[in-house]
Amino acid sequence: MIEMAMVERNENEKRSLKHKNEKCVGCGICSDICPTESIRLGPVLPIARGLVNMDYINLNKDKCVLCGLCASACPFDALEFKIDDKNIKELEEYPKWELEAKIDDESCIYCGHCVKVCPKDAIYLQKTMPEISEFMIGETEIDEDKCIYCGMCQEICPADAITIDDNDVNSSNQKIANGITLDESKCVYCGLCRRICPENAIKIICTTCMYRDEIPELEIKGNIVLDEDLCINCGWCQEICPKDAASVTKPFEGEIIMDEETVCKGDSCHACQDVCPCNAVSIVDNKSEINGDLCVLCGACSKACPQNHILINREKMNLNNIRSKSWEKHLSTLIGESSK
Amino acid sequence: MPVIIDTEKCGKIENCPGEGLCIKICEQGALFEENGDVVLIREKCDDCDLCIQNCPNNAVSKE
Repeated sequence: MIEMAMVERNENEKRSLKHKNEKCVGCGICSDICPTESIRLGPVLPIARGLVNMDYINLNKDKCVLCGLCASACPFDALEFKIDDKNIKELEEYPKWELEAKIDDESCIYCGHCVKVCPKDAIYLQKTMPEISEFMIGETEIDEDKCIYCGMCQEICPADAITIDDNDVNSSNQKIANGITLDESKCVYCGLCRRICPENAIKIICTTCMYRDEIPELEIKGNIVLDEDLCINCGWCQEICPKDAASVTKPFEGEIIMDEETVCKGDSCHACQDVCPCNAVSIVDNKSEINGDLCVLCGACSKACPQNHILINREKMNLNNIRSKSWEKHLSTLIGESSK
Repeated sequence: MPVIIDTEKCGKIENCPGEGLCIKICEQGALFEENGDVVLIREKCDDCDLCIQNCPNNAVSKE
């Protein structure tokens, strides 16, 4: 088990920096931004592939001056910087990421598409379908004196409401059909069983239409929760939602550029696909394709690509309240086209 | 063009901090272990350069 990387110092005030590897995506923004080169990005691809067991980054405790810039620049909340036990994210002097990911409960129909695609399993859905018996009304009657347990009704029933019961009849465990059960909670009173029964043993009357004014509207009840602590604002939920109920604000705005002078090695390499925290990369026709709508421009792919084929061009970052001029200068290095 | 392994920098796999990471990361089967050394099958190398980038000893390169 790897110990959590942490730096702590007590002088006029107590300062501590803690790396939370479970939230880290290995993008290396922290090591890019660190003014004292105290953060080394580990072998991200081997880690992502499970070939080595290490934290994504390594903090050099002797070099770190505990300025907190890395913690402010990390869009994934993977570095926690505290001054006198207070997280700088809560201190008014420090920068704030304006990130948001939410699912509007009013427009959500609980289809669950977002749950399936979320790369971080950050969405929880609980759904209750209406009981069929409240909306389909009728009467059924099976005359067991007439029934020969042939099983035709069971086979044709589209609602799986009929079961022919097999019971032991002697000591050799020989089974024989000698019972029939109709589950009224499943029956939709379609009448197919009655029509197929060779013995006229089934009576089914559908009274749904007769009572239609008294039957309530079908309603799907549900609950959807997006765990912002796990969310990395990739935008998958927003892209997949058929009801436009999900909205995501990403950390950066900009674009991915595939360099024209270098060649993507596609299926032989797929490093970009393996390190992408957003599942935004696919290898199509032996070439890497990155879906910008699902990408957070973290740059993990760009660093993992041995060909330097992927360039990140961040045009804007949604980090506000940068009050220090020197911090502003440092942070602005994250903007612009990444160098090869 | 296939990669070149600097045997001096590489050393024996048992001493590699990545425990033969290049062999594990190469999906072309171009690198394998023979008597504790890393051996390259030139014909299988696909020039993806993953071994160059990930070798902890900087022992893999190209001309």
